[in-house]
Amino acid sequence: MQNKPLSFSVDIRLNKRRNLLNFDYSIVLTVFLLGLFGLAMIYSASGSFTLVLKQAMYFFLGVILMITAAMSNFRKMEPIYLNAVWIGFFFLVLVLILPNSGTTNRWINLGFIGFQPSELMRFLLPISAAAYLTRNPQIKLSDWIIVLVTTLVAFILVFLQPDFGTSAIVLLSGIMPIILSGLPWRFIIYSFLGGIGTLPFLWMSLMDYQKERIYTFISPEADALGSGWNIAQSKIAIGSGQFFGKGYMEGSQSQLDFIPESHTDFIFAVIVEEFGFLGALGLFLLYAFLIHRLLYVAKSSNSKFAKLVSATLSIILAAYITLNISMVVGIFPVVGMPLPFISQGGTALVVNMITIGIILSLRRTT
Amino acid sequence: MNNFSRERFKTGEEYSRALFFLTPFILLFSVSLFQVLNLTLFQGDKYQTIAESNRIYQKPISPVRGFIYDRNGTLLAENIVQRDLYVTPAYIEDSAKTILKLSNLLDVPYELLDENFSRGVKKVKKFDSFPLVKALNEEQIAKAKVNLDSISGIEVKATLKRYVLHEETLAHVLGYVGDISSDDIRRDKLLAELQNTQIGKTGIEKEFDYVLRGKPGIQTQERDVKGKLVRILDTQGAEDGKDIYLTIDQKLQDHLFKLFENRRGALVALEPKTGLVRALISSPSFNPNILNSIVDTDEVESLFSNKESPIFNRAISGQYPPASTLKPFVGLAAIENEIISWDKKIKDDGEFYVEGDPRPYRGWKENGHGRVDMRKAIAESSDVYFYNIAFDLTLAGIRPMLDSFGFGKKTGLTDFEANGLLPDKKWKLGYKGDFWFKGDTINLGIGQGYILATPLQLAMAYSGLANKGVIYHPQFIQPEDEKSFEPKKIAEIQLSDNKAWEKMEQALVDVISARNGTAHKVFDANSVVIAGKTGTAQIKSILPGKEYDAIRENPALRDHALFVGYGPVEDPKLVVAVIIENGESGSEVAAPIVKSAINFYTGGFDAE
Repeated sequence: MQNKPLSFSVDIRLNKRRNLLNFDYSIVLTVFLLGLFGLAMIYSASGSFTLVLKQAMYFFLGVILMITAAMSNFRKMEPIYLNAVWIGFFFLVLVLILPNSGTTNRWINLGFIGFQPSELMRFLLPISAAAYLTRNPQIKLSDWIIVLVTTLVAFILVFLQPDFGTSAIVLLSGIMPIILSGLPWRFIIYSFLGGIGTLPFLWMSLMDYQKERIYTFISPEADALGSGWNIAQSKIAIGSGQFFGKGYMEGSQSQLDFIPESHTDFIFAVIVEEFGFLGALGLFLLYAFLIHRLLYVAKSSNSKFAKLVSATLSIILAAYITLNISMVVGIFPVVGMPLPFISQGGTALVVNMITIGIILSLRRTT
Repeated sequence: MNNFSRERFKTGEEYSRALFFLTPFILLFSVSLFQVLNLTLFQGDKYQTIAESNRIYQKPISPVRGFIYDRNGTLLAENIVQRDLYVTPAYIEDSAKTILKLSNLLDVPYELLDENFSRGVKKVKKFDSFPLVKALNEEQIAKAKVNLDSISGIEVKATLKRYVLHEETLAHVLGYVGDISSDDIRRDKLLAELQNTQIGKTGIEKEFDYVLRGKPGIQTQERDVKGKLVRILDTQGAEDGKDIYLTIDQKLQDHLFKLFENRRGALVALEPKTGLVRALISSPSFNPNILNSIVDTDEVESLFSNKESPIFNRAISGQYPPASTLKPFVGLAAIENEIISWDKKIKDDGEFYVEGDPRPYRGWKENGHGRVDMRKAIAESSDVYFYNIAFDLTLAGIRPMLDSFGFGKKTGLTDFEANGLLPDKKWKLGYKGDFWFKGDTINLGIGQGYILATPLQLAMAYSGLANKGVIYHPQFIQPEDEKSFEPKKIAEIQLSDNKAWEKMEQALVDVISARNGTAHKVFDANSVVIAGKTGTAQIKSILPGKEYDAIRENPALRDHALFVGYGPVEDPKLVVAVIIENGESGSEVAAPIVKSAINFYTGGFDAE
């Protein structure tokens, strides 16, 4: 009897703690596996311990941010999420204003650390969009229009850097919440047709190197020593891996630098060369499992916000995975996109892990 | 708008819509997996091969070319170290810039480097290098060593180059070496594997290239995408070429070459009893080292465009009318066919007429030699005597004897010799479009007209006289032991009367020894006894009413002087054929060389 009031209070605390750590551990485990495997592959591809150490630090940072995000209460976070997009805009404008070397403006350098604002935007935008669309029980047409305009502005800012691949992802990350939140199908179809109509204008606004990439994809033989060379060498690496692969650190194509950007965009080629079809299959299963578990959050949550955020972020992640792999295996044009959790690159890794953390937090309070 | 706001929004569709929009990615994902399956399993072997060829680089290792020695072990051809500037196109970013830099640094014309570069670039495979500037001089080497680190793709390499010690003296025997041309590769596919290796182009260098060249080795290397050597996987050493000992007697060759100074002509000296060639000269000559390592292309060009054709080997490829040197063989044919006997005399009044033809066939001596028999006809070289017997012999009577002495066919010394020409009726009809006339036979009787022979063929034919009918296969390769060497017979001519050999030899001895001999001028009591025959080959037939004196004003139309002889007659050691182009008198210019050769070789008075 005397237990009751006591147990009540204890219960609350226990429940709180249990709630706090009530993650889908299979997701966490998969992310850890992918991240650690990525570190190993970066070492094999680059042979640089410094690079691995740097990436490991980002991974560590990512883990902390992932756990922190996962433990947060997304309902309390909603006002923050609503305005998070402004941070993204701030950096996107900043990166265009700041003088930069080379032909593209993608990086913001804070001295001790550098990051890509476009990578930030592609997860801030959908969260803000979802928060905005679900702030009232009923969605108005104006809500969708405001989100769409915001998305287009973000898209143009990234496109101007110019970064074709990421701008497409940013576009997708803003449009997905609109579509998923219940936009009538006829609007979706009209806009799809309208989008196709703008393709010629989009083509005209592409940079020469971007056009070249598409040409190369259509006819790799035409430019065997230029961009076509990359795809050709990547395919050679993958094919020569055969069923079992050549073994870790034993891939001649990657060890002798025949694969371009082997530790970043083309790291999948290194994986297949060294671990063969079997390794590729394992990786595919891991990714499929991860996406499946992330989507389950969207399915099982009773919060519209949670559904929108987890579904959008899962699709974005799936887009990254498939576009990168299909590019590396030569069935899609080369659009500089990293392989999530594996490619070397700090911003992408940290952003991806925060994404996972946020989805985990959505699940916690279901 | 109104319409819109009244519409009820479907909620709870997020998950199913997400699945719907995930579909294209799931599709792409599946196609990617299938593509991985396709690349790794269905095309894996193919890509494995390509990956290997990316990784593996087979670097050829050049063998060291064999040396060439004379019969006594005197070094004739060796290899010397030469420093060349090599370029690897794969490592060069801006070829024009690099060439300009090198042009200034090494003081070599830009155009020359540019031409060499664009020619070489076509031939090399990836990461291979080729020589851009050959045979750098000391100053260039010094400059290169200081500056080359700053120019990528350029290095100074030490290579072995052919070097002929006696330069002009033996040029035609040894020949020269050169880079492998696309023609060479077409003829011999295996040559495509050799890079920056030189192969024999003419002479012994070519004929015995397969011995001298050796076998190249191969180093299997692993290289990265930039061509940097990662590690050596396997090395198969080169098998160096073997040395060759020639039958040539360098001292004799040297001695005789000096006698050819400022003369155009050829000499072949061989041992009649073995067929071993002791000296072979073609003059003018050239320095093979100019061609062995082509440094100055102008020099090479002038060598090939020289009107006196110094590169042409007159001794084996020069075809000349044998003129009177053919008379002994015509004589033997007449005796054998019983057209005439040794003692039968024919009146030679300087002219010979064929019935029904008012044109005379003139002898070289205006009023003739009087009544001559065979011995006198040979010694004095009576043309009328041989007009007579040739007319009676007919072509059918002369040809078999000439054929058995080897006229009109290769002797087998090398692959590069000329056939000469032993005409017959068919040949004349085919090449001259005319029938064979009696006059053609009469001219053949004194070695004029259509018949052509190389100096080598003449020497071989006379070795048959020296050996009483036996002719041995000529060769350049010195047998290990000369005493036990058994030469290969290539002809054994049987005469019905064996004494005919001695009688003909006596007549040939008279040529020098007898007071009336055509070469009696060179008679010398100290010399060994030499049997031989003079010859004066007409280049232009003398037209009626035109005297030779008018013709000889043009030196290029003057007669060729010939002498072929052997000695000592009691035991012939050397048979020598000499032709001096436009030398006019066989006895004055050719016979002294033959005499000197035989005496020098047999240790007579001319020996040092």
